[in-house]
Amino acid sequence: MEKKPSLEVIAPTVEEAVTRGAAELGLREDDLQVEVLDEGSRGFLGISARQVRVRLTVAPAGDVPAPKKEAALKDGAPIPATESATDDDPEAVQAAHDTVAELVERLGLEAQVSAKWGPKDPDARIQPLLVDVNGDDLGILIGRRGEALTALQYITRLIVAKELKRPVAVVIDIEGYRARREQQLRQLARKIATQASDLDRTMELEPMPPNERRIIHVELRDNPSVTTESVGEGSNRKVTVIPKG
Amino acid sequence: MKELIEYIARSLVDDPTEVSVTLRETERESRIELSVAAEDMGRVIGRQGRVANAMRTLMRVISSRQGVRSSLDIV
Repeated sequence: MEKKPSLEVIAPTVEEAVTRGAAELGLREDDLQVEVLDEGSRGFLGISARQVRVRLTVAPAGDVPAPKKEAALKDGAPIPATESATDDDPEAVQAAHDTVAELVERLGLEAQVSAKWGPKDPDARIQPLLVDVNGDDLGILIGRRGEALTALQYITRLIVAKELKRPVAVVIDIEGYRARREQQLRQLARKIATQASDLDRTMELEPMPPNERRIIHVELRDNPSVTTESVGEGSNRKVTVIPKG
Repeated sequence: MKELIEYIARSLVDDPTEVSVTLRETERESRIELSVAAEDMGRVIGRQGRVANAMRTLMRVISSRQGVRSSLDIV
């Protein structure tokens, strides 16, 4: 079998390693097969004394085995690759809808929740399960730099994965926030790229969460005049835009 | 806030019967104590405390509207 491109990443956690590797490769996390080479040492209460080391391999197109329904979702186990067939499992839609609705209610907020399978990304093979939350005064559920939205989505993914015994790429949007933010970031990326290239200077963006950094990397991936690289650790990690030549 | 943490914890653990949540409220702070079976601790804490921190962030959605601080202890 032909050798596939792979990348080794060292990071504090497996999730972080996968996120960084995916950003570096310009791919979605779900496109990568993850092999944990060193689990690190957990230390006390999850504070890692030794970092984890993972090898990321680009999941082969087409012949990805469907994840086994009974696949264990244990920490450190390889994340099963996303199946290549279009998913239309109504059970997952119901589970995601109900979980978000239960959480929103217990947050003391009133909102309409709707869920449906999104279109499969042609670039990657991931198929998102889109959950839209709409209502009045939901800014608080987005939070500063989207942190409440990120937490809501993370908890929802964990609960849905536990219920269905498989991971589902639940993507939550609140009042169209994600779409607006993506537009802003793409514009920003192009503006900064022009500046970097005009001034012939490396430009640094403000710290961003992994999903936002990825939007910048992807937007400038094919830009002939700059390259991008993330620097810094944890919540201080930011994208730098470097002029070519 | 108690109902929120109860729902999340019961949904994530293997043994929901061992989940117990206590709320202690003062004028300035809502303090939640969450206890789960020993084998389920990792599920409500997460690597580097990621799950616990997500729960704390969601608690602030409630407490900031009430003008109080909130805290979550896993005991």
